[in-house]
Parts: sequence; C-alpha cells; structure tokens
Amino acid sequence: MKNLLTVIGLMVFSIMGTAQTSVSGTVLEKNTDIPLLGVSVLVKGTTIGTTTDFDGKYSIDNVSDGAVLEFSFLGFKTVEITMTGQTTIDLALEEDGEQLDEVVVTALNIQRDKESLGYSISQVTADQVNVARENNVMNSLSGKVSGLQITQSNTGVDGSSRVLLRGITTISGNNRPLVVVDGIPINNGSGGAGGGGGIDRGDALSDINPDDVASISVLKGAGAAAAYGSLGMNGVILITTKSGTKKKGVGIGLNSSFLFTDIALTPDFQNEYGSGAFGDFAPINADGRPVLDYPFSWSWGPKMEGQAYTNWLGRQDVYAPNPNRNPYNEFYQTGFTMSNTLSFEGRNDKGSFRLAITDEDGQGIVSNNTLSKQTFNMRGSSNLTDKLKIDGKMTYITSKVKNRPELAEGSGNTALQLSLMPRDIRLQDVANNTINVNGEEIKWNLDNTFNNPYWALENAGNVDEKDRFQGFISTNWDLNERFNITAKSGIDYIVYDFTSFGARGANAISNGLGSYNHQTGKSSIWNSDILGTYTTNISDFNVTLSLGANYRNEFSSALNVSGNDAKVDGFYQISNYKNSFSNENTTKKGIYSFYGLGQFNYGGYLYFDVTLRNDNSSALPKTNNSYWYHSENMSLLFSKLLGLNSRILSQGKLRGSFAKVGNDTSPYRTQAVYNVDQTVTLPYTVASISGSLPSFDLRPETSESWEIGTELGFLDNRILLDATYYQTNTTDQIMAVPISGTSGFDSKVVNAGEIQNKGIEAQLNLIPFDSESFTWNLGFNFTKSNSKVVSLNEGLQNIVLGTLWTASVEARPGQEFGTIYGNDFLRDNFGRKIIGNDGLAQRGERVALGNINPDWYGGFTNQIRFKNFTLSSLITAQVGGEYYSYGRGYRLFFGTDQRSLVGRETGIIEDGINEFTGFENDVPANAMLKQFTDIFANEVATDLILDATNVKLREVALTFDFPETMLRNTFIQSATLSAVGRNLLFLYNASGDIDPEATYSSGPASTAFEHSSLPSTRSYGLNLKINF
Amino acid sequence: MKNTQNNIRKIVVVALFGILFSSCEKHLENLYDNPNAVTTIDDSALFTKAVRSLFQGTTDQASARFAGQYAHYFVAGSTWRAPDQYGDGFDGDYNSMLKEGYSGTIRHIEEVLLITSTAGTQNNVRHAMADIIAVLGYAKMTDAFGDVPYNEGGKGKSENIIQPRYDSQQSIYTDLIARLASSIAVLKTANPELGYPGSDPIFDNNLDKWVRLANSVRLRLAMRLRYADPGLSQSTVVQCLSEPLMETPEHDAFMIETEGTGNAWFTRRTGFPSIKMSTFLIDQLQNTSDPRLSIFVSQDGSGQYSGITNGLTDQAFGNSNFANLSDMGLALSSPESKLFVMTAAETWLLRAEAALAYDNDPTAANSFFRNGIEASLNQWGVEAAEISDFMASPIATLSGNNDEEQIGVQLWLALTPNYFESWSHIRRTGFPVLPVRTDPGLHQGATNGIMPKRFNYPSFEQSSNATNLQEAISRQGANKIDTPIWWDKN
Repeated sequence: MKNLLTVIGLMVFSIMGTAQTSVSGTVLEKNTDIPLLGVSVLVKGTTIGTTTDFDGKYSIDNVSDGAVLEFSFLGFKTVEITMTGQTTIDLALEEDGEQLDEVVVTALNIQRDKESLGYSISQVTADQVNVARENNVMNSLSGKVSGLQITQSNTGVDGSSRVLLRGITTISGNNRPLVVVDGIPINNGSGGAGGGGGIDRGDALSDINPDDVASISVLKGAGAAAAYGSLGMNGVILITTKSGTKKKGVGIGLNSSFLFTDIALTPDFQNEYGSGAFGDFAPINADGRPVLDYPFSWSWGPKMEGQAYTNWLGRQDVYAPNPNRNPYNEFYQTGFTMSNTLSFEGRNDKGSFRLAITDEDGQGIVSNNTLSKQTFNMRGSSNLTDKLKIDGKMTYITSKVKNRPELAEGSGNTALQLSLMPRDIRLQDVANNTINVNGEEIKWNLDNTFNNPYWALENAGNVDEKDRFQGFISTNWDLNERFNITAKSGIDYIVYDFTSFGARGANAISNGLGSYNHQTGKSSIWNSDILGTYTTNISDFNVTLSLGANYRNEFSSALNVSGNDAKVDGFYQISNYKNSFSNENTTKKGIYSFYGLGQFNYGGYLYFDVTLRNDNSSALPKTNNSYWYHSENMSLLFSKLLGLNSRILSQGKLRGSFAKVGNDTSPYRTQAVYNVDQTVTLPYTVASISGSLPSFDLRPETSESWEIGTELGFLDNRILLDATYYQTNTTDQIMAVPISGTSGFDSKVVNAGEIQNKGIEAQLNLIPFDSESFTWNLGFNFTKSNSKVVSLNEGLQNIVLGTLWTASVEARPGQEFGTIYGNDFLRDNFGRKIIGNDGLAQRGERVALGNINPDWYGGFTNQIRFKNFTLSSLITAQVGGEYYSYGRGYRLFFGTDQRSLVGRETGIIEDGINEFTGFENDVPANAMLKQFTDIFANEVATDLILDATNVKLREVALTFDFPETMLRNTFIQSATLSAVGRNLLFLYNASGDIDPEATYSSGPASTAFEHSSLPSTRSYGLNLKINF
Repeated sequence: MKNTQNNIRKIVVVALFGILFSSCEKHLENLYDNPNAVTTIDDSALFTKAVRSLFQGTTDQASARFAGQYAHYFVAGSTWRAPDQYGDGFDGDYNSMLKEGYSGTIRHIEEVLLITSTAGTQNNVRHAMADIIAVLGYAKMTDAFGDVPYNEGGKGKSENIIQPRYDSQQSIYTDLIARLASSIAVLKTANPELGYPGSDPIFDNNLDKWVRLANSVRLRLAMRLRYADPGLSQSTVVQCLSEPLMETPEHDAFMIETEGTGNAWFTRRTGFPSIKMSTFLIDQLQNTSDPRLSIFVSQDGSGQYSGITNGLTDQAFGNSNFANLSDMGLALSSPESKLFVMTAAETWLLRAEAALAYDNDPTAANSFFRNGIEASLNQWGVEAAEISDFMASPIATLSGNNDEEQIGVQLWLALTPNYFESWSHIRRTGFPVLPVRTDPGLHQGATNGIMPKRFNYPSFEQSSNATNLQEAISRQGANKIDTPIWWDKN
C-alpha cells in the first residue's frame, strides 16, 4: 500500500514536475478585435503546433511548463509567451508597424511576404482610392506609385486614362498593364478620339468600383508578371476586392461622396479686336450678312471701340469688347459626381459574405453630358469541409453615359467652336440664333468643320450604354498539410449599345442630311486556371513548388448600322434614313498555358523564385504558336544574414530579377483574305483586299528585362527607402509596319524593331513624428524612365505613331520613343531664321522638336494626423517632356488668343536675317499674315511645341474620425467625414493656359497632342463613411 | 506485376496529357481562321473592285483639289483652295494621292493578273481585260509623279515586294503600249464566255468595245509621247489606226455610281466646301456660244454664269463673293451623272491631232476634229438643233491658222470634268494657253505663277523606300512641282 502511494505520489510528482497541460484561447487583432484566422501557434523549438480557426480559436494539448508558445502571423508582430501553467491564453496581435513583414498580393493571387520578393511591388490601400473618389480608379493611383504614370484625358465624364507602367516597351502595342481583379484578368483597353475628332468612350478600367476595392498591388516588372505570361509584359495591376469580414455591429457600411466639378483652366483670350481680316470688317454679302468665309470669320478685324457695324447675323450692332471675357466660363457649367455605396458583410466559421450596391450619378461641365452607373457586388465564401473551401463573386455593372463630348477637330467640339468664335460675337446671340426658317443651322462661318455650339447641344448627341458582368468561382482543396490544389474560372463579359445622331440642317453632319449610327456588341475574356502547390523542407531549404495550367478565351463581336439623309426630323432610328449601311465583325482568340513556379527560402534571409511558362496561341501561325518564358527573382535580407538589427539600419534587402517574356498578337494577322464589300445596287459582286499584308511566318515577340533594387529601413523603419533600376529590351516586335504605298499596300505585319526601356524609380517614406495623438508621414516617389528605339524594320526610317495637323509623334532608330516631329522655320547655319522681303519667315526642314517622355515624374504625399483629424495631400510633378498644341495654333491664326495681340497695329518684325541681303530683318509683317503663314500655310510647328513641366496639387483630404465617445449611444460603430479635393490647381505650369494632360485619347503616344481640349476641371466635395 | 502497374499508370498519364495537348491544338486550329472574310474568291469580284476604283478615281476627293484646279475647271472654297495658289506644301496630300492610286485599282488588278495567270485559274481573256485596267491605273500614276514603281509596283502581295524599284517613265510608257497591243490581239478573237459575263461594270462583257477602249487608250498614250519619243509615238499611232477605235458615245467607257451617297461631284456640289466653276472655263464657253455651257455650269442665284478666277490671293478671294457664284452643272454633278475614263470625243480629237502631226493632212484632221466635237455634244445629250448650230460656227472648223490650239482647246472641253486627263493634256500640248499669274491679286505660288507640272514624291516615300526614290529623283530631276516629267516637253 505504501509502495502504491509512493508510486502514485511519484507519478503525481512527475506529472507536476513536467506539468503537461492543455492550452486554448482566442487570438484577435489589436484595436479592431477581429478574430484572426490562421495564426500559427507553435511550441518553440518543436514541431508541435496548430493554427487558429475562423473565430481565432486554438487549442494545444500537452504543453509543458516553461515551454515557450510562439504566436506568429504574417504582417503582425510575433508574440512569445512562456508557459507557467495557464490553461487559457487570449491575446491580441498587433500589426507590425515596422512593416518588416508586409504582406502583399502577388501574381496568381498568392499572398507573399514582401521581403521575400525579388522584384519591385507597391501596394495601395482602399483609403487611398475611395475617399477622394474618382470615377476611374486608375486616376486615384496617379502620383502614389513610382513607375506608374497616369494621364487623365480631358474628355468629359467617364473619360479614359493613359496608364503606363515603367514607360513604353512596344511600338505598336497598347503598352497598358494587365489588370487583374481577384485573380481574373479583365479587359484593359484604352479609349479616346482621334485628332480629326470623335468622342472618348472611356476605358474598361473605369468600371472598377473604388468602394469595392480592398487593396491594389502594382507589379512593375516582367519578373513580377511572368506568371501571367505575355499579358503581363507591361506589368500587372492586381486589384483585390473586399470580402466579408467580421465586424462589430450589424456589418452595414455606407460610403457617400458628393463632389462638384468646375473649370480650373481655360485659354487666355484677347478682347480688343473682333471679326474681320487685315484690320477691316468683312465685305457684306448679297444676303446682308458679312462674308462668313476665311479669313473674314477670324478675329483680325478693327479694334473694338464701340463703332456701329453689321454683325454676323446681318444686324446693325455696336462693335464692342465682349462683356464676357471668356466664353468658356459662360458656356460651361459646374458639374457634379455623387456616389453612394451600401454594403452588408459578415463572417463566421462556415464562411463569409459581402453584398454591396453602388449608385453613381454625375453631370459634366457640358450640360447634357451625364453619367449614371450602378454596381451590384456579391462576394461569398464557404468552408464545405475543413479542407475544402469555395469562394465566388458576381459583379454586375450597368452604366449609361449621355452625350460624350466631341473632341479635337470634331465639328461638335464645343471648346474648338468657342475658342475660335470672333471676339465681338456675344454668346447670347449664338444661343438665341441656332436655326433659321429653313431649319438650317445658323453659324458665324461656312466651314463644315464647325457647328454652332448651341445647335450641337440640342441637335447632336450620343447615348453610350454598357452592361458588364464580372465573376468567378474558385475552390481550394488542402489535400494535406503540404499539398494544395486551387481551381478558378472567371469571366469579364461586356455588352454595349451605342447610338449617336445628328439632326438634319448642319453642313457638318452628312452635308446637312442628318446622320445616325448604332453600334452594338459584346466581348468576353474568360480565364480558367488550375494550380497545384506542394510545400516541403529539404534540409535548410523551405521549398514551394507549383504546377498550373490556364486557358484563356477572348471573344468579341460587333454590329454597326449607320444611315444618313433623315426622312423625318428628330426621329433617330435606322428606318428613318434613306441611305443605310451596316457591317459586322467577330474575333476569337484562345491561349493555352502551362506553368511551373518554384520558391526556395534558405534561412529566412535568402529567397529565390523561378517561373517557367509555355503559351500556345491561336493568333500565331500553327507552326510557331508555342513559346516559352521564364523569370528568376532573388531576394537577400542582408541585415538578417549579418545579424544587423540595430536601430540605425533596421532593415536591409537587396533584390534582383531577370525575366524573358514572349507575346503573341491580335488574331488573324497571319492569313491572307478577301473581304466581301457591302453593295446594295450592284448586280455583280465586289470584293477587296485589306491594305495590311499578313505575315505567314510570324514569331512571338520577346521581351527581356532585369532589375535590381534595394529596400533599406533606418531608425526603426522611420525612414524607408525603396529603389530600383530596371532595363527591358523588347525585340522581334510584332507590328504592322507602314510600307511604301507603291507596293499597293499600306502596311505589313512583321517581326521587327527593338525598344530599350530603362529607368530608375525610388520611393522614400518618412515618419518624422509618431505618437498617440499626433503622427506625421511623408512620402516621396520618383521615376525616370526612358524608351529608346534601337531599330525598326530594315530600310524603314520611321514609324508614325500619331499625327495632328502636320506634327507627328514618331519612332525613329536611335531616338527616344515618342519624339515629336514637325516643320521648323528655314534657318541659316547659325540657326537664324531666313526672312523673305515680305518680312515673313519660311518653312524649313522637318526636324525633331520635342519628346513626350518626361525627364522624371513623381509625387509627394504628406499626411498629418492630430487626434481625430487627418490632413493628407498629394502633389504630383512632371519635369520635362513636350507636346504639340494645335489648339493654341488655331487660336493664334484665328486671332482670338491673347498672344495674337502682338503687333496688330505695327506689324511684327521677325527675328532673323533677310534672305537676300543677309542683314537683320527690318520689314514688319502683317500680324495676321504672319500667324496664318507660319502656322497654316507653312505648317511650322516650332512655336506650338510646349513644355509639359508642371506641378499640381493633385489631392487634398481632411478627414475627421468621429471619436467613440460621440458614437457611444448610437448604433453607429464608426464614422468618418472627409472634405476632399482633386486636381485642385497647378502650383506651376510651364505652358501657362493649357493643361499638358488635356489629351483627347489615352493611347501610348497620346500625350503628344493637345487640340482645343475641354477646359480642365477640378473637383471638390465631401465623403462620409459610416459603419453600423 | 508492380512494374506493369506502374507502366500502365505512366501510359495512362502520358495518354491523358497527349489527349489534352492534342485537343488544345485542335481547339486553337478552330480559332485560327478569320470569320470576317473568305480565303478564296473568284477573280471577277476583284476585277469589279479595280474597275470601280478606276472610275471613282476620276472624282477622287484628294486629287480633285489639285488637278481639278490646275485644269482650270473650278476653284474650291475654304482650305481646299490652297493648291490653286500653286503652292507645294501638301506632303500629306501627295502621299494620299500616291497611296490611293496604288491601293484602289492597282492593288486589286494585280491580284486579278496573278489569279488569271496561275495554273488552275489561268484565263487569257480575263488577263487581257485586266491588263487594260492595269494600264489605265499605272498611266495615271506616272502622269502625276513621273517615274514610279511599275515592274515592281503593286506587288506587295503577289511578289512580297515592299520596297519597289522606280522605273523611268519612258520604260513604263513603252511597256504600257505593248501590253495594250497584246490585249487587243487576244480580245479581238476571244470567246466572250471566258471574259467577265455578269461582272463587267463598263461594257457588259462586250469584247468589241473592250478592244476599242484598249486601242483608244493606246492612242492617248501614243500621242502623249509626241514630243518625247516621236518615233514610238508615230509607229504606235499607225498601229492604232489599223484597229477599231471608239467612234460614237456608244463606245464610251463610263460608269454611274449608284452606291452610297453617289458620285463625289454630287456630294461636292451639295456639300461643303463647295466648288465654283472657273471664270476661265466659263469665258471660253460663253465667248464661243458653246451649248455645253449650261451643261458644265449652273446658273448663279441671279440667273447668270459667274465664275471665280483661279489663283486669287487670300484677300482677293475674300472679296470674291465666292458663295454666290456658279456651281458645277447638274449634268456633271447629279446622282445619275456618268463618270468617264475614255470617250469617242477624245479619241477623234486625238486622231485630228495625229493627222496634222504625222500625216500632214488638214482635211482629215478637220473631219476628225468635227467628229470629236459632235461626239462630245452627243455625249452630253445636247439637242440636235443646238448641235447643228454649233457645228456651223467657225469654232467647229479648223481655221488652218491655229489648228493645234483649236484641237487642244476642244480636247480640254471634251475631257470635262476628267481633270486628271485634262491636266496632263494641258501639260503636254500647252493648250488651252493658261495665263501666267503676274497680277498682284494672284498668287504666284512655288512656280512663279506657272501651272505645276507634277506632284511631289511624299516624304513618307523617302522614309519607307529611300534608296529607290533617290535613284528616281537623280534620274528625273529635283523633287519639285515645276520639274517637268519625261513626256512633258512644252
């Protein structure tokens, strides 16, 4: 018995001595108290451990006293707790403010620790895009991410934006980064008008609802993007939308914005001389009206001094300065944008859901230009079993934009009309005289490239409707702890319906017959992926291997009917037109891909990633349709390796990446075909051959890039520097090179040309002050990117990327991509202008006059929080780069521009030497003849090349966080109110009265040209967020 | 046993992957073909395209501004008027005129020539007809620019030549004449069934008319060489006279544009910028009581025939009351107006010139001259009484003093409104005599007030085909609008 007691005693003692207990508890996020899922709970030095479940709960058996429990979670500070017999350990993990372990979303939606990446990545949070809200979420990224250049065109509500990541790499491609929403690539097309006119139908990115965005990752180089294959060649913007989280309260959120939009910048007009030419009034026609043809419909008449004259309507009037100095301020109005999002979300251990509805309404500065857009978003996930999870999303977007404004040389461009209207004409008279008794438009000139702006407002317009569905279903199956399979299928499907019309009676519209156009179409991009991932440890290496396959199907079809010669006024349907035409078009493309990824981690300080991918595309010839690429990325945390963890150098990382990416092309470029012409009256068949010659032996194009970079943190990461140098060479580019017209054809599809793109980008973040009630954050980013044309197709001297009037933006071997060419003045060897006996300069050689690429660009963010107030601002800068303004040219030779006042009475003595005597020119030229001859007759572009350097106060937001004390007795959990402003003002603008961003399209070379753009706008208003 | 199982597993895995890959390949192949077009087509559909382009080219919007004003048929308003001032700052226009010439008629007729000479689809009759269209297409290009790519021109698809060599105008003309001779030889005895029954926009597959067209065009080309290569010119004329030529308006090669908004003259008369008829043309018609006045020219608002002077300065133009002047005549510019590329009237008048030049036979010349005028009046449906009145006037008979000029002026009138041929005609013969612009109210342009002699090669050609272009310029002379082309010796 005694022995027995002894044994029991010994046993108890031994149990007591090693004190084996079970521990359980809940892990929450500090401050929010949201349960954390997947926190690793490990007995330090052993492999015993577990992870937390959906409610943040965990339990571990048999933990001995004195053991150390390590709670770790990506992005949070690791907590170690020594066991002293506790059975319950609840704790709150604190976010790792030092961002040592910043978690980012990378290619294929894989969440990675930022320090493990061998390439440059930037992440933008929801607050940066949904407070000072933009209709097009891309615009909100402007100036916030190094390497990313956003140019917001000036084309009315819902206009498109030029988006470039690390500059230009291909001559004829759209150079836009791939945009991936929740793992599904979406349509990323650009939009815009041509120099000859047209409208900007917006781009596919403007449908991303800022209020549904959780975060945006910008993967800059090809190394980051190789996993997406050729589509990722220009970088990738990964957008993660919100999914359901567990919130305090009932989980209802409201985000409301109301912003006014008004005119920020207009051209400077003179207000001293009115209509006429050579200082005289126009002769009076037989109908009693002045001659309305050029040059008499310009503003080169006598000085306006209150004299009596016959005005443009043929009425006796007083010839006096315009009471309204600037017609823009009278014609354009203050617009607005209003958006409201209501969301419902929740989460439990079985899954999560989020439902959101957004309504957005807006009105532009042109009174009939409106936007109405609704977004319905459903996101849900469910844990079918412990190991099997499904996730899905459905987004439906329906939008209707009315009367997208006509741009550039388009007859309906109100800015063009207003800017050229003779200065004596009162806008009120124009508004009151739009149609004569015969139903014809009344104008102040005969030119059919112009409308009366008020006639156009009432009698021409368009309706652009779009329905878009985006959705995916994915499943994630953990076969065991090491092996995991995900499968995902998602689609971006767009249906659009666009009508435009113009009434009978305006010469500009089908010679007065009236016209109608109706386009309908649909497009889809469907991606399906399967990916298997295996994780293991081989000695000191942690290895993750993945194998995947993808199928991508692109489809689009369009049907277009148009008619002219209206039978009945004011009725816009195809049956109402005497002549009608139609055409249709279908394209399909398929790409199969197989890929493998490998990640190797040694010792937590050396990371090595490889990607290998094979694409097979239907757009390439059957014998050449398969192509390979690969990338290698390395990251070395030298501060960890060397054990440096001092306060001074708190983080040190070196990274490097190499990638080779292939690319296919658009479909049907490798096949010779005959088009059957649409004919109505002919008894025989007519067929035609396209002007673009196909290539039968097209190869995939290749882009090779490498980058090196570093991330350094000092003083506990209060100073963070991230810098990268990159270089990309794109060769064998697939493009339709223009060929001599004498070949019978316009272009031929070839593999040709090389572009070298290199640059530096840097980001510096500072936290000068950080305390409970006061914090101050500063951020700078800087990008310098150059794209040089190394070669073009053999024998080809240039490729014209775009033209406006006689200026062109070109690619020429040895030159920077996007060099602007135009006629210069005729000059002697010393660069002096050669002036004729008439005192006029002459046309010289066609030369390079500028380049679209900035020397550098960047942004400066400043955020100050004092207690519940936060003031943040963003200043963006572009230094260098040029553009050609035909708008200014027009205003100069039409005599409406402020600058046209020079030499009106005395003539202008050109700087230069007389062509015959060689002496300094002293013959004054008539100011009107000089402007007309230089700009129009001689097509000299030199004086119309403007410096695009500018510094802009891009964004300001003052936010008030309602303190909990104020909300205590309400059912409101949290609320913030912000006063916001966007594009508020230029702090510096080298080109004065023109906005260098005011382009009419969003293609890669679009920033080369400005043509009578709509006035630039700024927006300001309030944003309110409430969570219930 | 285990090995066998393993092998079976491997085979199954490999087979599954094989099936996956091959079905992928199959799927890609299904997506390869362009659904918007066809890969084979009967050459008749391309022949109609080439022929229609040829006729549409006679109203071509880009070149109308140039040659139409150079020929002193009309003056265009607004910015369209600039070429009338004899300037040369029109690089983009020169480029589009060069491109349009090659992309319309030439691109499609080259394909027809390829198809009709390829084994399996070979057809000598169609080939001969297509050659005639090709000759007209290339002749227009060389007449406009001088040396142009010919042997290698238009061969981007058929021979993959994207930087074609330029040929001298002399060699082009020699070959064009030879091609017409061989077409005539083939078509004279050809079986019409082998032609383009149902797909001939000009003559409804009447091969006799095709022979006359080919032979009359040959006469035009031969006379164009009159001053540059008199030997070839004369020997060719002799051959022309031994084969049937166009004799009545029944033989005329014309087309009525019924597609779209109709012919371009119609849209030009009714649209903007409008064109107004030239004072030079109106004066000629009015001073000679020519019944074609009311056909070529519309009355202005006050019932008068009021023209616009060619070459006005901007200030003078502003004072010209342009908007109220005479439009183009309805017969030329209505939806049902005919577009001509070759007529009996032109043929007779060329024969009149040839009779004077080569046969020294004023009697025959006068007879052909009168036939030409009568054919022209008939072509435009002038009433019989008016025809006999005009034929009785001294204008319709060669005076013996200035016969060359009389013929030249009537040719110019007979070509109306085919400005391109008319411009070439004036360049070659110097008739009608255009006044040199010395008046201060007139613009002297880049040519000292003399009608431009060619279009400039565009800078795009320099960019895309430099070596060959330089060779042509060094052969032909400076790339300027007053550099005469080879056959232009006046």
